[in-house]
Amino acid sequence: MDVIIIMCLGILVGRLFLTPRIKKASETISVMCTVLLIFSMGVTLGGNENFLDELSALGFSSLLFFLVPTALSVVIVYLLTRKMTKKETGQERAGE
Amino acid sequence: MVLCMICALVLGLLYGLSGAEWGLIDVVSRHSDLILYLLMFFIGISIGTQRGIFSKIKEYHFKIFVIPIGIIVGSFVGGVVCSLILDIPVGYGTAITSGLGWYSLAGVTIGSLANAQMGSIAFLSNLMREIASFMVIPFLATRFNSFACIASAGATSEDTTLPIILKYTNEETVVMSVFNGIICSMMVPVLISACLKMV
Repeated sequence: MDVIIIMCLGILVGRLFLTPRIKKASETISVMCTVLLIFSMGVTLGGNENFLDELSALGFSSLLFFLVPTALSVVIVYLLTRKMTKKETGQERAGE
Repeated sequence: MVLCMICALVLGLLYGLSGAEWGLIDVVSRHSDLILYLLMFFIGISIGTQRGIFSKIKEYHFKIFVIPIGIIVGSFVGGVVCSLILDIPVGYGTAITSGLGWYSLAGVTIGSLANAQMGSIAFLSNLMREIASFMVIPFLATRFNSFACIASAGATSEDTTLPIILKYTNEETVVMSVFNGIICSMMVPVLISACLKMV
C-alpha cells in the first residue's frame, strides 16, 4: 500500500510542479533503481544457503509452473484486448 | 536494457554466493525497500508529467478490469494443467500460480500454509515469471500488443517490470499496468487462501 501512496505523490509532484521535459530524467532514474533492485534480489537469493540445491531439485516443476500460466495469461489477455487495440487503431486512422 | 538486467541479477547472485561483505553493496541490498520507494516516486513523476493520460482512463471504463481478469483466469487454468501433469493436488497447483509473479509473498505464504516444497516451487516459479518478463516484454510488444506485456508481468506490472513496460509501450499502457498491478496484488493473498482451501 505504501508504494502506491508514494507513486501517487510522484504523480502529484509531476502533475503540479514539473514539465514533460523532466520525463526523460525520471525514466533514467527509474531504470537505475530497477537495476539496483534486481541486483539486490540476486544478492538475497545467492545468500540463501539452500538456493542451489532448491534450484536443481525443484527446477523442472517450477519451470512448468512458470511457463504454462504465463503463456495462458498472455494468450487470454491478448484475445480479450485484441478488439480494444483494433478499435483504437481504427480511430487513429480515422483521425488522420 | 534486458542484458543489463540479467547482468545485474547474475552479479547479485555471484556476490550472494561468494559470501563477501562489502559495505556499500550490503547497504544497497539491505535497503532495497527504499530503492523501491524511490523507483515508485519517479515512475509517478513519469505518469504525472504525461498530459491527457487520465482522460484516457475514463474512456476505458470497465475495460480496465479485462486485463487482471484475463491474467487471473490464465494463471488459474495454468495451475490446474500443471497439477494434472505433475500429479499434485489441484489446490496446491492453483495456489502456486495465484502468486501472479509476486514470488516473495507466494513463497512465504504457501510455505507456511502448505509445506516447504510447495513454498519453494511457488517462490521459484513466480521469480521465473518476473525475470522472464524482462526478456519477453520487448517481443510481446512487437508481436502481440501492449496489453500482452502486462499479462506476462502479472502482479509485478506496478513495480519492477513497470520501467520495461514504459520503455517498450506507451504512457497509456503504463497507467493500465499500474491499475493491473494494484488489482492483482490485492487478489494474490485472497486467491492463495481460497485455492489452499480446496486441498
